[in-house]
Amino acid sequence: MLSRAARPALRAGAAAAVRPATVNAPAATYATLREIEDRLKSIRNIEKITKTMKIVASTKLTRAQRAMNESRTYGKTSNTVFEKAETKPEEGEGKKTLLIVCSSDKGLCGGIHSGLSRKSRALAAGQPDMNIVVIGEKCKAQLGRSNAKAIKLTFQGVGKDVPTFADAQAIADQVTLIPQHYDSVKILFNKFVNAQSYEPTIIEAYSKEAIANSPNYSAFEIEDEVLGNLQEYSLANSLYWALAEGHACEQSARRNAMDNASKNAGDMISRFTILFNRTRQAVITGELVEIITGATASEDM
Amino acid sequence: MSAIRIARSALKVRPTAFRAPAPLMLRRGYADVASDKLQLSLSLPHQAIYKSSEVIQVNLPAETGEMGVLANHVPSIEQLKPGVVEIIEEAGTTKQFFLSGGFAVVQPGSQLSINAAQVEGYPLEDFSAEAVRNQIAEAQKVANGSGSEQDIAEAKIELEVLESLQAALK
Repeated sequence: MLSRAARPALRAGAAAAVRPATVNAPAATYATLREIEDRLKSIRNIEKITKTMKIVASTKLTRAQRAMNESRTYGKTSNTVFEKAETKPEEGEGKKTLLIVCSSDKGLCGGIHSGLSRKSRALAAGQPDMNIVVIGEKCKAQLGRSNAKAIKLTFQGVGKDVPTFADAQAIADQVTLIPQHYDSVKILFNKFVNAQSYEPTIIEAYSKEAIANSPNYSAFEIEDEVLGNLQEYSLANSLYWALAEGHACEQSARRNAMDNASKNAGDMISRFTILFNRTRQAVITGELVEIITGATASEDM
Repeated sequence: MSAIRIARSALKVRPTAFRAPAPLMLRRGYADVASDKLQLSLSLPHQAIYKSSEVIQVNLPAETGEMGVLANHVPSIEQLKPGVVEIIEEAGTTKQFFLSGGFAVVQPGSQLSINAAQVEGYPLEDFSAEAVRNQIAEAQKVANGSGSEQDIAEAKIELEVLESLQAALK
């Protein structure tokens, strides 16, 4: 008491600080109760949304996987000739490389886009004069920050649905229209390993020179003017394969991401329900104590 | 691109989607390499019709002219033009598909891979002659009209595809 009297200014300050706290204390518990309720509601909504997105992704996944399997056989059939001819990409000093990154416009599907961006950054670091064509908004945004100068062309609106061959053709068409000549074209996409994992992979789309220089090329009978067509056609084929497989990966990744999100939301809901009940109980107990204390106090008087 | 649309709309509506003939035999081994059968892979973007199935002969409409491919054909790469691909299977039955373009590659070791992409391949009986006739008239209108250069070029390709389809149907 003495010490308090010695410091009247502090006393006034302490009283001012204490008063709102004591006045607001019961109100604060009510408010937190309301707050918890609101949060619970919003988490429930989020869970509903993620569950729905998961179901949508699962249905799309079956279709995407079927398309992927067909496109894989298609792409492999198309590339057998290069395997047999032992075609190798033309690389080395002064050779221009083009990287086509197959991502998509939509997020909420784990790390598949950033995986592609990371891989392409690593590739670009190895070859500083490499040019990049980006399919899809996500990788465009990510690569635009680090490799803005290398980006030649971007495409949007691909990958909303299962990609069609017409999509691949349109993209291949635009790519061949780039005035710069490329000695090697690499297509970067997510390879579907299984439902849980995928890895950024490259398929080569060989240039005319690379095809003509391949060791076993002379074994094949071919008209010279057909070679250009073959090259453009196989670019479209490989692109189609990459797009279809990338799409399947995206759907599968989205399904997993949404599955995890729903699980987490479920966990949070149970935690918040317990917290909510406890707080309610505490508030009731507090009120009872107040009433009883009040009653006893007035009896004594 | 336009070729896909044409071939699709020329299809008669079928309640069930066309199903590829199930590959009867899919054996692989040393014996097959030495066999006198042709291993055919005919694949389209949305389906593989043959997956290294053994067939006797395949007749192709190549740019350089119609050609028949038997086993032990010399390796070659051929661009296909719109037309009918005829496949003579082991049992002697013949299957016909209309393709509007693509590439056929005869690989060493009696393997033939056909990538038909510009159009989906369909059995001939799935096309309706009337629909083809109507579309030819439409394409001719565009080709002779005053559209952009690209439109006219597209219409001409359309005409080429449709006319060969009509010829095949007769």
